[in-house]
Amino acid sequence: MSACAATFAVSLPREEPTGETALERERQLNQFLAGVERRALRIAEIGVRDRDEALDLVQEAMIKLARAYSARPAEEWAPLFYRILHNGVRDWHRRQKVRRRVMAWFGRSADGDGDYDPIEAAADPAGRTPHDELEMGEAMRRLEIAIGELPGRQREAFMLRTFEGLDVAGTAVAMGCGEGSVKTHYSRAVHTLREQLGEHWE
Amino acid sequence: MNESPENERFTERAQRLFDDSVERLDAATLSSLNRGRHRALAELGTAGVARGHWMRWVPATGVAAAALATVMMMNARPPDVVQEPVSAADFEMLLDDDDELEMLEDLEFYSWLDLAGPSAGDDVG
Repeated sequence: MSACAATFAVSLPREEPTGETALERERQLNQFLAGVERRALRIAEIGVRDRDEALDLVQEAMIKLARAYSARPAEEWAPLFYRILHNGVRDWHRRQKVRRRVMAWFGRSADGDGDYDPIEAAADPAGRTPHDELEMGEAMRRLEIAIGELPGRQREAFMLRTFEGLDVAGTAVAMGCGEGSVKTHYSRAVHTLREQLGEHWE
Repeated sequence: MNESPENERFTERAQRLFDDSVERLDAATLSSLNRGRHRALAELGTAGVARGHWMRWVPATGVAAAALATVMMMNARPPDVVQEPVSAADFEMLLDDDDELEMLEDLEFYSWLDLAGPSAGDDVG
């Protein structure tokens, strides 16, 4: 069995909250979502390289969490939310790939202009002004490009650990794999990124 | 996890840059996030309803996938480059997405466009 065998079960009996409990749960969920939404958006944006698509994916993840897991203990929400989000990003990539294949049957490109260029795509996903871009610095842009070129699992491990600050156990839940795999993916990601970005970036 | 000092410095810098980019999100984006969050909160406890809504699309997407496959078979021509075969499962994956459903609705148009070539539509508008 692979190291990524499921280590996470979510099917506990659920009691429907009523009255004050429901209001309290809504308040807690609102607080949680407000706390993670910005970081989640940037993480999704790095994953799909498109702000609007990332917004859709984050909203979808928030809705799924609210519908299916709001009754779970609040401390489980972060890994669950990121698991939903990363599944969404993975599905988005699969759909894009299939879409390109289907459109190729009709003799046209799915995105209209040929091969994907990661540097061009990552140039300014947020539509920032040149002044903002300058302030934010070239470093983040280069980091985003390098992260975008990592294999999917390494990218997830790096972003969940470094950007979202999940611990190894939480990252394992979010990625649906074992803690050993998280450590391996994360370590390889850091090694590759450091190698790609070079010493002067640091 | 024991990290080397170099790796720690690297990840700390990456973290700072990321935090900075989060802080710089524009007002329109923050507003979209806010709206999305409230939409999600409105969905609290609607899992059963949501499943019912999704189930309504199952027969429709199945039929649509079959229709798309049929049209493509009818319009099939030797592709210019070697491509992986497109399966019915591929179509169903596409049809999970509302945008792709729109594409399906315009299928006749795409077929016409494909046959008419690059000059198609030049005399429109």
